[in-house]
Amino acid sequence: MLLEYAIVAGLLFGVFYAYLALGLNLIFGVLRIVNLAHGDLVMLGSYLAFELYYAWHWSPLLAIVVAVVPCILVGGALYLGVAPRLARAQDPEMMSLVLFFGISQVIEAIAAFGFTSNERSVSANALGSHPVGILGQAYPVTWVVVAAASVPVLLILFAYLGRTRLGRATRAVMASPDEAAAVGINVRMVSALTFGVGVALAVGAGSLAVFMLGGVTPTEGVSITILSFAVIVVGGLGNPLGTVVGGLVLGLAFQLTLTFLPNWASLVPYVLLLAVVLTRPTGVLSRARRLA
Amino acid sequence: MNRYLVATAGLSLLGLSVTACGASPSSSSTAPRAITVGTLYSGSGAFATSSQPQLAGLKFWISQENSKGGVYVGAYHKRIHVKLVTYNDQSSATTAATLYTQLITQNKVNVLVSDFGSVLTAPAVTIAQEHHQLLFDPTGTGTVFFTPGNKYIVLTALPTSGIWPAPLVQFLLAQHISKVAILYDSNDFDASQAATVDSGLKAGGVTPVYYQAVPSATASYGTLIQSIKATNPGAVLEFGYPPNDIAFLQALRSSGVHFPMVFTAFPGQLHQLLESNVGQAGLSYTYSYGFPPQLAYNTVNEGLGTSAFVQAFAPTDPASVNFLDIAGYQTGLVIQAALRHASSLSQLALRNAVASVSGSLNTIDGSFKIDSQGGQVGELLPVSQLFPSGSTTKIQMVYPPASATHSAVYPAP
Amino acid sequence: MPAAGFVVANAFYPNQQELVMMMVYLALAQGINVIYGFTGYLPFGYVGFFGAGAYGLALSVLYLHVPAGVGLLFAVLAAVAVAALLFPLLRLEGVYFAIASLAAAEALYEVISNPSLAAVTKGPYGINLVSAYNANASFVAAVALVAVSMGIVVYLRTSRLGLALRAIRSDAVSAEFAGINVVQRRTVAWLLSAAMAGAAGGTFAWYTSTFYPGAVFDSSISIFAIVFALFGGVGTTWGPALGAVVLFGVYNAVGISQPQYFQLIYGVLIVLLVLFLPGGLGSLVQRLAPRWRRLRRTPGRGPEALPGVGGPDG
Repeated sequence: MLLEYAIVAGLLFGVFYAYLALGLNLIFGVLRIVNLAHGDLVMLGSYLAFELYYAWHWSPLLAIVVAVVPCILVGGALYLGVAPRLARAQDPEMMSLVLFFGISQVIEAIAAFGFTSNERSVSANALGSHPVGILGQAYPVTWVVVAAASVPVLLILFAYLGRTRLGRATRAVMASPDEAAAVGINVRMVSALTFGVGVALAVGAGSLAVFMLGGVTPTEGVSITILSFAVIVVGGLGNPLGTVVGGLVLGLAFQLTLTFLPNWASLVPYVLLLAVVLTRPTGVLSRARRLA
Repeated sequence: MNRYLVATAGLSLLGLSVTACGASPSSSSTAPRAITVGTLYSGSGAFATSSQPQLAGLKFWISQENSKGGVYVGAYHKRIHVKLVTYNDQSSATTAATLYTQLITQNKVNVLVSDFGSVLTAPAVTIAQEHHQLLFDPTGTGTVFFTPGNKYIVLTALPTSGIWPAPLVQFLLAQHISKVAILYDSNDFDASQAATVDSGLKAGGVTPVYYQAVPSATASYGTLIQSIKATNPGAVLEFGYPPNDIAFLQALRSSGVHFPMVFTAFPGQLHQLLESNVGQAGLSYTYSYGFPPQLAYNTVNEGLGTSAFVQAFAPTDPASVNFLDIAGYQTGLVIQAALRHASSLSQLALRNAVASVSGSLNTIDGSFKIDSQGGQVGELLPVSQLFPSGSTTKIQMVYPPASATHSAVYPAP
Repeated sequence: MPAAGFVVANAFYPNQQELVMMMVYLALAQGINVIYGFTGYLPFGYVGFFGAGAYGLALSVLYLHVPAGVGLLFAVLAAVAVAALLFPLLRLEGVYFAIASLAAAEALYEVISNPSLAAVTKGPYGINLVSAYNANASFVAAVALVAVSMGIVVYLRTSRLGLALRAIRSDAVSAEFAGINVVQRRTVAWLLSAAMAGAAGGTFAWYTSTFYPGAVFDSSISIFAIVFALFGGVGTTWGPALGAVVLFGVYNAVGISQPQYFQLIYGVLIVLLVLFLPGGLGSLVQRLAPRWRRLRRTPGRGPEALPGVGGPDG
């Protein structure tokens, strides 16, 4: 019974983890940079949900939708602003890492100014009040609603990548920016758009993170970035579909450890990350499988 | 090469001179013009919610004394104005270490008060001892702080965390609850409480059916609650910091699991914070420690009693007064008693004065009594239970009988 | 030596704790310099070695009853042992290395602070070394730490090892062709850098003597060390030292009461440095003092990065 519970909980969390990490992976896939400010964007999304719920009495889930347009605009503009300078740097990959590290520090500081460093949480009642029965056991309604909200986001993104012209262009850039440019795709605009979408995904996931990861504080960004990085490393860097696999693996591993070895549960993302990175260094670096 | 060295050495000094601004040495030949009280607070971070009310309580004490012309200093037979020096440590122990040193060496404070809680008090313990500065420790209850050789610490507003749960253990045994589940966070504060309950219950013939540490950052209690439920306990005790208690109670409520008794540490201490996050339904009939002001002490021989304090401290919103306001105020009262009885302003004289009033000081926080290592052994924390009242909850003392204001409802409906 | 500067400062600056922290950060920034400046590996989890060093000293003092001065050797040993355990990380590149090292440091913290291991590490209950506490001796240790870490960087700047490392950094493949044992040289830099952080952690533990595991595995320690090193300019002898002294000085003047301002300042600084002055403050000084630069022709990233510089300030 405990095993069943842990498996279902792991799947519910897994879907959420996939959503949480998707923006990071999308940006990596197209731009080859790790957005170290990813966790901080998630944190901002949590505050957005908090404000929507308490100041405007809207459902926190609306943050997912509300965030899309402003994030794409801000993210895209940021990308267009810094990309040329990064491209000229001696070691663009390392410089982008340091750059986003700096941005992450700035976001954290500004969030601490704006929201104070006190932890805030959104009442679970915001998503419903009765536990949901699955296979004869009762699960917190927050878990179920969050998973249910994550699935359509994932589906929409995959439909975008698979079925629209822009999405196909995005995948072409992922595969090879040079070839994409050769067939007339505006790589710069696609990259800027993708960066914006990645930011929007991170902020949107933040509205759910406040329920799944406990309350929100300005300093939580780093641990969310590591968690998300673990998800995309396990699932395959630069592979959006792999993110779902990574999320589910991490969700199951975490919940099973929490059930049977609770002391060691917080080690799970780190150990998984290290294990994958060290045992398949080439597999991680190559992009063997790609969204079909 | 020399050029480098000179440049670097020079720069070191430059960097230091930047930091040296703001020091204000005070001389102490005759009666000082002011008694300087130095303390830290967390403007942000994990401990901000607890640290700020503690500072507010201390400030309240200072304003009370200054409105009388200052605090009475026995060594000079007169009242002397109290000056407060504070820095923000942002809940960081490393930052706090630098700031405690600054208070001692640069501000040369007469009275050093540590920030809230064990984590931020830890760095002060050694620094105070090394500088022979008495540390007034309001709420740092960590068991490692109190050692036989160290005279330079007194715990003012709480008992050491090892003896917090003593009445709770008695209550569990008195209720004949044979299956007890204990979930605690892996930090000194929570682990020492859990260990005390564990050994106390075992001494009473009860072995906990579930005894588990979880990392302090744990937020997903849903799965753990299922594990606890599988042991079918008669009482579930969760020891954590406020974020943990909130997450645990929220998870408990949304999982739909019901236990006959649930105990968490902070509803009794930060009632409003817990209630705004967990709500009436999540708190009703749960248990906690009983802290002032819900635990009232109106017969006092130092400072204000509970009702008078609440009136004076927050005349417009009495419900907002929490224990940490009182902890800060209580620390002021201990300082006040020490200053009145000390033969001089030397730190050892203050320490001896604190020892001399131990056992005879009755305040808003109960009976102040320290052991030889400076640990607090008075001010015991009764067991309280939260009852629905209108749209909120009300805290009532349920054990021990001497402080009870209501009888316990077990099992919880 | 800059170490002498700290000894002099100690005579008239009353906050010794702050001086010790400055020295600890100077050593950490130089440690980042050794691994990042000379090999290009940027360890976000650098604090792991610091924490290992702190526990190396603490546990050797508690269980082996060695004097704290000897405990410093155990601090170095502990950090080097962790570095050896993490050798496989060096197979990774760039971001993978940076984030994997962060995960490793977090994992180490989770293990050391785990209540299941409380019998060995004292778990989350913290360390109390008051019996070994000695402010003056540990201050001397910190001064020695600064001297040694400066010495290591000076050595790297002038020795064949340093030359080899810089060759590897600019082009590993050519370096290999030129007969440089790339793996071995990188390994040496990795161990040196870890040893420096271990010694810094040991010194911190000795001086602080009462601490919880969270205090010595605080990720802001890595962040500060990296920021200080980048600010001063890595690959140079005194850039990181300057970064540590100046920025930690600013931190104590500005950040101590409002750390968010400091975080904002250095966050913005990092962004500006990356965009406009990738060589750090050191390269600015070099640029402004061409005469001086001719005097000491400095290879490394500073001057090489100059052609890309477009903005007026840093």
